Amino acid sequence: MTPIAARGFAWLAGPAVSLLLAVSAGAQRQPVSFRNQILPILERRCQVCHQGEGGQASLSLVSREAVLRGGLSGPAVVPGDPEQSLLIARVSGDNPAMPQIGEPLAPLEVRLLSRWIAEGAKDDTPHGGGGDVTWWSFRPLHRPTVPVEHPGWARTPIDRFVLRKLREMGLDPSADADRRTLIRRLTYDLHGLPPTPEQIDSFVNDPSPTAYEDLVDGLLASPRYGERWGRHWLDVVHYADTHGFDQDRRRLNAWPYRDYVIRSLNQDKDYERFVREQLAGDVLRPDSAESVVATGFISAGPWDFASHTTLQEETLNRKMARLLDRDDMVATTISTFSSVTAHCARCHDHKFDPISQEDYYSLQTVFAGIERTDRPYDMDPDVSTQRRALREQQREIAIEIRAILAEAKEKTSPRIQAKEAQIHPLVDRRALLLNSMTLGDTPEGRAKNQAISARIKVLSEDLRILNNQIEGLRVAMLDPVFGARLVRLRAAMQQAKASLKELPPPKQVYAVDSYFETFLNIVPPLTPRPIHLLLRGSPNAPGRLMVPGALSAVNGLSSRFGELDPDDEGARRVALAEWIVARENPLTWRSIVNRVWQYHFGTGIVDTPSDFGRMGSEPTHPELLDWLAVEFRDNGQSLKRLHRMMLVSSVFRQSSQTVHRGSEVDAENRFLWRMNRRRLDAEAVRDSVMYVAGNLDLAVGGPPVEQFVYIEDFSPRFDYANFDVDSPASFRRSVYRFVVRSVSDPFMESLDCADPSTLTPTRNVTLTAIQALAMLNDRLVLRQAQHLAARLRARSGDATEQLTLTFELLLGRGPREDEAKLLLPYLRTHGAEKLCLLMVNTNEFMFVD
Amino acid sequence: MSHDRRRSISPRGAGMRSIDRRRFLWNWGGGLGGIALAHLLGQSSLLADTSLGPRPEFDGGLHHQARAKRVVQLFMSGGASHIDTFDYKPELITRHGQKFDPGERVELFQSLSPGPFLKSPWSWKQHGQSGHWVSDLLPRIASRVDHLTFLHSMVSKSNVHGPATYMQNTGFVLPGFPSMGSWLSYGLGSMNDSLPTFVVLPNDFAFPPNGPSNWSAGFLPAEHQGTMIRVGRENPIHDLFPPDAARHAIRPGDEESLGVLQKLNREHLERRGGDSMLNARIQSYEMAARLQLSAPEVLDITGESSATRKLYGLDNHITSDFGTRCLVARRLLERDVRFVQIWSGADNGLPRRNWDSHENLEHDHSLMAAEMDGPVAGLLQDLESLGMLDDTIVFWTTEFGRMPCSQGSEGRDHNPHTFTSWLGGGGFKPGISYGKSDAWGYKVVENPIYCYDVHATILHLLGIDHRRLTFRHNGIDRRLTDVHGRVMNEILA
Repeated sequence: MTPIAARGFAWLAGPAVSLLLAVSAGAQRQPVSFRNQILPILERRCQVCHQGEGGQASLSLVSREAVLRGGLSGPAVVPGDPEQSLLIARVSGDNPAMPQIGEPLAPLEVRLLSRWIAEGAKDDTPHGGGGDVTWWSFRPLHRPTVPVEHPGWARTPIDRFVLRKLREMGLDPSADADRRTLIRRLTYDLHGLPPTPEQIDSFVNDPSPTAYEDLVDGLLASPRYGERWGRHWLDVVHYADTHGFDQDRRRLNAWPYRDYVIRSLNQDKDYERFVREQLAGDVLRPDSAESVVATGFISAGPWDFASHTTLQEETLNRKMARLLDRDDMVATTISTFSSVTAHCARCHDHKFDPISQEDYYSLQTVFAGIERTDRPYDMDPDVSTQRRALREQQREIAIEIRAILAEAKEKTSPRIQAKEAQIHPLVDRRALLLNSMTLGDTPEGRAKNQAISARIKVLSEDLRILNNQIEGLRVAMLDPVFGARLVRLRAAMQQAKASLKELPPPKQVYAVDSYFETFLNIVPPLTPRPIHLLLRGSPNAPGRLMVPGALSAVNGLSSRFGELDPDDEGARRVALAEWIVARENPLTWRSIVNRVWQYHFGTGIVDTPSDFGRMGSEPTHPELLDWLAVEFRDNGQSLKRLHRMMLVSSVFRQSSQTVHRGSEVDAENRFLWRMNRRRLDAEAVRDSVMYVAGNLDLAVGGPPVEQFVYIEDFSPRFDYANFDVDSPASFRRSVYRFVVRSVSDPFMESLDCADPSTLTPTRNVTLTAIQALAMLNDRLVLRQAQHLAARLRARSGDATEQLTLTFELLLGRGPREDEAKLLLPYLRTHGAEKLCLLMVNTNEFMFVD
Repeated sequence: MSHDRRRSISPRGAGMRSIDRRRFLWNWGGGLGGIALAHLLGQSSLLADTSLGPRPEFDGGLHHQARAKRVVQLFMSGGASHIDTFDYKPELITRHGQKFDPGERVELFQSLSPGPFLKSPWSWKQHGQSGHWVSDLLPRIASRVDHLTFLHSMVSKSNVHGPATYMQNTGFVLPGFPSMGSWLSYGLGSMNDSLPTFVVLPNDFAFPPNGPSNWSAGFLPAEHQGTMIRVGRENPIHDLFPPDAARHAIRPGDEESLGVLQKLNREHLERRGGDSMLNARIQSYEMAARLQLSAPEVLDITGESSATRKLYGLDNHITSDFGTRCLVARRLLERDVRFVQIWSGADNGLPRRNWDSHENLEHDHSLMAAEMDGPVAGLLQDLESLGMLDDTIVFWTTEFGRMPCSQGSEGRDHNPHTFTSWLGGGGFKPGISYGKSDAWGYKVVENPIYCYDVHATILHLLGIDHRRLTFRHNGIDRRLTDVHGRVMNEILA
């Protein structure tokens, strides 16, 4: 039986069981369930038209509250009185008025609706989520006993856990791979690059009994490690250098976060700190540049520029855009750190996991006081302290100004109306002027566009003055105390601005903030915005006001942060960070050790690394997972130590050779009777080709390199086809490339690079014609094949030596006799360039054993 | 179960299942991060195939008998006005210049408040036997109305281009989801062993809002994403051919190099005791070679008669770009490419280069319509005369409509509350209209239709139950139609 079918039966079991109970209880009938019986009817038959504020006849039938509220004709239901309830009148009778679409309701459906109303129209939607708190991932962490296995193959506790499972299944582990295979495997694993021939020689000939361990330690100590593993983290959090959506604007200050991730891994920051900094570094250590930059985590995902900058406040689409923006923050945080799908509870309680809508909106509340924005920071802590004080002052002034202007906004007069009437024509003229510009780059067009731009500038200034005058007139209608106060506040704001200007210019990171200068229609929150539970996830159906919190299913931890100062935005994020890193939170520790396992072995112990819920998989080795989690949590939370534990294991050192018995019993190798063979990922391919050709620029960090031609416009354009592959930007490691959300790099995309539109806990691996064409024909590959050939020729004029070196650089071994026999004539006839191109297209180069 | 591959690689089942087809294939010794390459061996489609594949008993369908085989989607980027094209509103003429007050707050995208009613700058006539009203903006499509099924009550969940364009393509207002073409590729696979399953023909100047992420595979394997063909470019498909200057390139027909490569790869495979992934990669080079042969052939329109060229407007500089793409689309469909998407209009910007006519509706819609009208009518006529309209669906759409009130003096703002799409061929009832907007074209009054319903209906005709075409991603069994969608039997022939 497939798991899907199993779930289907579990659902069936519910009603069937209650039916039996009803029978045994005699005449007593079960009350009609709103959640299980009524809501499905409304969903299926009514909500097509009656949903949200814009529902037909202004009627929304998405929740009990909405049903009682009713529409243009009044409440749809009178509790206790089906006869007086409009809903019943509309759907019953010989020729029912509703639904307009499809067949009339079945008699049984009408009876159910009537009974539900007669029973008082009660809402039994639970506020506790649909799942099971005893599900494996929510169970407390305990340190399992390491199995006793015969010594020999097993070197480490990891091996003993794995070996026990293999024995249970009647499988044998594989022997160690040879040293050439191991150094190539390790170097790709930790650096995303191949080992050099010299490194291979030295390892193969190293007589030390700790040669392997020393190799692991050396690789972990290199800055290449953070670049390789930082990229994994950036996949998980869907980092990119543009906002995404329409008019995909560049996010020029995102990269300090990317560098933070790389640096943190290289420094082997303990995991607690890594979590705390990314969620609330700016609150915990506000004058540490490092900590502020870390909060780029929260803003790493896409941002809908057009919705946020264009839509007016209080419109439905604007509310929706904000809701979805916070949804991304919640999803990113909880998927990344807790490996559960809290975002599934936006419209209803989670259907499979113990996550309620209340939990979800409590999490939204954590992020209610911030927006994604460029944020200033300083390297000098003293300057930072001064800047913070001034910006805090600005925030407080802005709160007062906002209050006064909100009051003034209600005022109007004939003079104000006259001024307002002038706005439309000006806006209209400006728009028409913009549209009359010339498309395409010609000298005449440029001249014309310049003239138009000048006129637009004048119009914009006129508009600004007009708007100021209107505001002035409105404020004048308030009590004079307010007018005077506003003048003083604005002066104070100017003063703070001037003082800020006197400080050394700050750096900027794209992160989050509660205060910033209003830009187009983006206003800073200043203080946390109120968050309501939204029935059916609709901004038009707000329910109760929420307090910040997290998931209530984690035992032993308080899941509501109600005691916090309601105006203190930062305290909420700190509280969430503390909830995540609590020793008692089993999700956190299982999540991170499983991610690390996945990147080393190809598949996680749980192969759905961001979903430990019922829709995800269960662990193949639950005890090993818990052992690793406890070991990691309680012993310094060092990722490098965790890597080392996995890498020195016999499991990791196994050969990837297929053996008959293994493929009979466990063809997918989920129990690791051999090492998994893996295709190089997009970054490893690109970097390796550069590296073997001697062209990889190993500079660390800094602004991203644009591997496209950028064309500035309302909607910026990114042209990859005309990028100069010989420009310096080409040679940096791929982790430093400028990642565009709307238009991905076709070469990297063909090799399954992560799509930053979505969280990518696991990359797909595909083998397509388009990928083969990219490896054969991409200008980058062709050019590097030439460079590699030049490198060979510089080393030796002898074809045999050239061939040997090609093999050593690309495959980590010399050519066998049959290969030399095949390839030497090819090399002599077609030249080294073509041979190099051919060799980077081989499976042996593209895969790691 | 075929609808849930990821899940089928669960630890519970491993080692305990009896030998099934998938298991047999895995016995080659692969292990591939969550994606099974079950169909890979023994099947030689263009791409490494992770699709579910049609069922022979359903004549190309996956869950039931298929009525249609292919789809061509014509996407009017920027928001084509329904009330200036296909949704006739005489009230706009009588109320022209009067205050627009529908009795509720009007939510607009750019403007602060609605301007007065704005009548359509074009005159209207009834056409064909069906008598459908079409404005003079689109005289050529008007001549084909008896073949079309109009949906006058389309509704979008967003009035912003990015989310709304995503919605029409993927069913979601957020990025990261597969487009309809990708779902079809995943569900039905290829009917052709030398061309992509899902082809996109974008405007040559620039991409529509959201760029190529509109036709991305989202979380589906990358092979299901739309392959962009830039008609008229040296490399119509990215990296299809090496640059001329690269003298060391391995070019199509270089049997020696490809032979050496495959020899090395096969030796490598044998030494490792077999591996389905290694084998798949060997095959991918053979598929690539086929694509290099077939793509230039399909793009070479020199053999088309002058009558055909004229039909598609290739003789006219205004229509030649869009017309060429329509003609190429026909050639792709003839070769059984399953889904072709053609974009009318480019990015959002000023001056306008798509249907987003905020400032000057008459000027900007005229430009867009002049490019699109003739070629689309030509495509419809050509498909019909070739007998292809029977099993080819033509789907004309946009991300939202435009407001009956004016923006500024001569433009219209976005209207997500109602807009028009039309369908033709492939099993739709021709010459009818379905759904109604109000007297001004402001909101739907009858039979609201979301993209879910259109998607569900198109999938239905292709032999797919939209509720059963799913893919597990981040804890959810995702569908093209989310948790919605209704097959609109009313409009099926």
